[in-house]
Amino acid sequence: MERVFLVDDDAAVRKALARALRAQGLQVEAYESAEAFLARPDPAARGCLVLDVSMPGLDGLELQRRLAGTGSMPPIVFLTGCGDIPMSVRAIKAGAADFLTKPVQVAVLLDAVRAALAADEAALSARADLDALQRRLATLTPRELEVLESVARGRLNKQIAGDLGIVEQTVKFHRARIMARLQARTAAELMHIAARLGIGRTGAD
Amino acid sequence: MTAGPRPASAAPRTRGRTLRVVFAGMLGLAATGAATAAGGVLVLYSNDRLLPANIEIDRGLRDAIASSAHAGIDQYTEFLDQPAFSGAEYERAFASYLDTKYRTRTPSVILVAGGDALEFLLRHRARTFVGVPAVHLGIDIAQLQSLQPLPADVVGVAVEYDYARTVGMALRLHPGVERLVVITGASDWDREWEALLRAGLPRLGLAPRIEYLAGLPSGELLARVADLGRGDVVYTPSYFEDGAGKSFIPRDAVARIAAASGAPVYAPYSTFLGAGIAGGFMSSYVDIGRQAGQVAAALLSGAAPSGLRLPPSVPAVAQVDWRQVLRWKVDPERIPQDAVVLFREPTFWQANRSKVLAFAAVIALQAVLIVALLVERRLRQRTASALAESELRMSLAARAARLSMWIWDAARDRFWTTNRLAGDGEPAAAAPMRFDQVLASVHPADRAALDSAARGALARGEEFDIEYRALLPDGEERWIAARGRAEREDGERLVGVALDVTPRKSAELQAAKDRAALTHMTRVSMLGQLSASIAHQLNQPLAAILGNAEAARQMLRRPDVDVAELGAICDDIISEDQRAADVIRRLGALYKRGELRLAVLDLNQLVSETLDLVRTELDTRHVEVAVALASAPPVVDGERVQLQQVLLNLILNGADAMRAIDPAQRRLLIGTEVDGATVSVSVVDRGTGIAPDDLKSVFDPFWSTKADGIGIGLAICQSIVSAHRGTLDVANNADAGATFRMVLPLRRDG
Repeated sequence: MERVFLVDDDAAVRKALARALRAQGLQVEAYESAEAFLARPDPAARGCLVLDVSMPGLDGLELQRRLAGTGSMPPIVFLTGCGDIPMSVRAIKAGAADFLTKPVQVAVLLDAVRAALAADEAALSARADLDALQRRLATLTPRELEVLESVARGRLNKQIAGDLGIVEQTVKFHRARIMARLQARTAAELMHIAARLGIGRTGAD
Repeated sequence: MTAGPRPASAAPRTRGRTLRVVFAGMLGLAATGAATAAGGVLVLYSNDRLLPANIEIDRGLRDAIASSAHAGIDQYTEFLDQPAFSGAEYERAFASYLDTKYRTRTPSVILVAGGDALEFLLRHRARTFVGVPAVHLGIDIAQLQSLQPLPADVVGVAVEYDYARTVGMALRLHPGVERLVVITGASDWDREWEALLRAGLPRLGLAPRIEYLAGLPSGELLARVADLGRGDVVYTPSYFEDGAGKSFIPRDAVARIAAASGAPVYAPYSTFLGAGIAGGFMSSYVDIGRQAGQVAAALLSGAAPSGLRLPPSVPAVAQVDWRQVLRWKVDPERIPQDAVVLFREPTFWQANRSKVLAFAAVIALQAVLIVALLVERRLRQRTASALAESELRMSLAARAARLSMWIWDAARDRFWTTNRLAGDGEPAAAAPMRFDQVLASVHPADRAALDSAARGALARGEEFDIEYRALLPDGEERWIAARGRAEREDGERLVGVALDVTPRKSAELQAAKDRAALTHMTRVSMLGQLSASIAHQLNQPLAAILGNAEAARQMLRRPDVDVAELGAICDDIISEDQRAADVIRRLGALYKRGELRLAVLDLNQLVSETLDLVRTELDTRHVEVAVALASAPPVVDGERVQLQQVLLNLILNGADAMRAIDPAQRRLLIGTEVDGATVSVSVVDRGTGIAPDDLKSVFDPFWSTKADGIGIGLAICQSIVSAHRGTLDVANNADAGATFRMVLPLRRDG
């Protein structure tokens, strides 16, 4: 179930938004302050943070800064009763998923929360893919890495053989090993993986 | 209507008894003006409309209502026309006529003039004019007692027909009187008077013997009074019917008696004055009407009839006809000091002395003007500057025109002035005014003050000094400063000067207005600074309402509706709506530019409300607030909005003072304290403090340390606090920052 962490110092607003989101089928955890949110038992749980900007003590923007420092920042949808443009720009630049002003329609909030969760999900899986690719890359030998870089730069097998002082047949053998280790089925897919891993982009002639 | 005495000896009346007229001399007031609005005042007179007393009562009554807050109210008049028309059938028909006529236009107050009208009203009140409060007038104390107890919403002031004082006055004016002749008539009413006098006069222990001429035919009566002479005085309430069964208007009857009489005639009714009677102790019917009009106005203003504090009776004063004084060769020394002397033809000097003085004053003023004009001409020849010339001309003209001299001869109630202050240029030779005419040209709000200042100075023989607004015929309002002195050498009079001070007064009023505008402007600009905070204050409840409503809508789509939860949601919506309404109400008050209205204020509550308003602003600035409120309620008489403005200003100043320090250190302490007869509110910041050299200047206008400040906030705070009879000062704290402290007088209980 989609989970929302709702942080707002105004009890009435907190209660109302929690009700509205729950009625839409979301799981809501409500906190009366940024400090209370930080102290929650399961810091790693994923969910969308719906965060009031101005609160006594630690305010919303400050909480965002601290979460960024921990490296496990959840997607944040800011809510404010008195938002101005500089404030929203600051929040978005610091990675906020959305910045909404009160009173907010539940449909709008819900869209923002879902979009934030989906983006977070996508970002997470993208990062997981990359991690896997990098792990595979690490299994290549130095020679295979050299071959991969040349392939990524668009050099032909014959040219690579010349560059590295080996026969073309050996280059082909290396390429087959590389494709197997990186789980690339076609040459085009290999080029794509190399691009994602940032290989061949730097140090070009 | 009629106002007549009911002799005290009369047996208590029963309600069913046929109406009888009491007295003559009264009134009638032509009903004027078409009614257009519901409500209004209905006057029901006992007798017919042409009785002089009715006309005078009507004058007093209209005068009182016109100078009350209900000046424009409709006035209707009805006449019972007693005794010409009477009887149970007539009365029923009349009641039904009133009922029909006023069904769609029920009066707010009914005035009943005279005992017959009151008795009529009491008999028919159950069906006609149900629940409409009534004011009675012109009814003798004795008769009123016979009608007690009156319903709680029937009130009024009685009249005293004081035959004892009238007779006493007659004996004093005519020393050596040997015989008091008492004349009464033959109608029921006349007989009641006779019974009253026969019972009461012997008890006075008078030196002269008393002779009664009761119920004689007019011809015989007139022959008898013609035989009276030195050593006789006559007392008569006059009569409605003579011994021959002939009807009279009492004033006509008394006029015939007085014309024929060889001895002076005294009587109880002021309407007889001028008909030949020498005088008597009597209430003026104008006063009776005025008194009733004031009572009616109080009822119209919503006063409870039982809560009115009314005098026991309309005061009676000695009144003397000067022509009779001369006719009967009365020694003027014997006329009571406070007597009203009517129809006196003054000697030339008496009549004109004040006018001559006034002429002299005008001539003096004209001389000043001529000299001024001559001087001006000389100056004009000398000066080349057209501008200077016209300025000079204007100032001289204004100076010459703005001052007037006046004299009020209080004994004769004549008021002369060199210029009526009305700007109509009427010369001093104009006829003198009565003082009430002078008052009529004064703004209604200032009338009472001028009246009491002038009369007070007269009574105490002092000077007086007053500023009031005069109303010119075209409706323009001018401020007049009048100064006068009582002079007592020959009769009581006030002399003085009056000066048109409109320009100065306008400047003062303008300054006050400017101050109010500036106060309002700084408040609004302060609210501008708080706009984010205010938006937040309003958006919070709106967000809660919207969230709750959407949650409810979603819940209603489900098959299993949780009614209890829906109820809780509705409750929350209502309370949040109330919260938003409160914010708007409080803000509205701050934005509004109102007059100073003092109310009982709890400063603890004011501090809390003010903090609500700035909370978001303080959060944004990372200012932490601590509050230390007095346990005894710090209650003051104050203007909520203005004191809130002071608090807002001090709180925002405190927050500003901490701009430069570490956010973790920004702390504002707001405290209230009750100490003896004072209440204080302090705002303590931890900021940079105030440079010692600046401590004295912080409250000066246009003094500011802020780059964007214009420096009027604290100056205005101080003027607000001073207007509350309080003080506002500042001191640096021993450790850090400064403390602003407002001290106000504690509200005393009651």
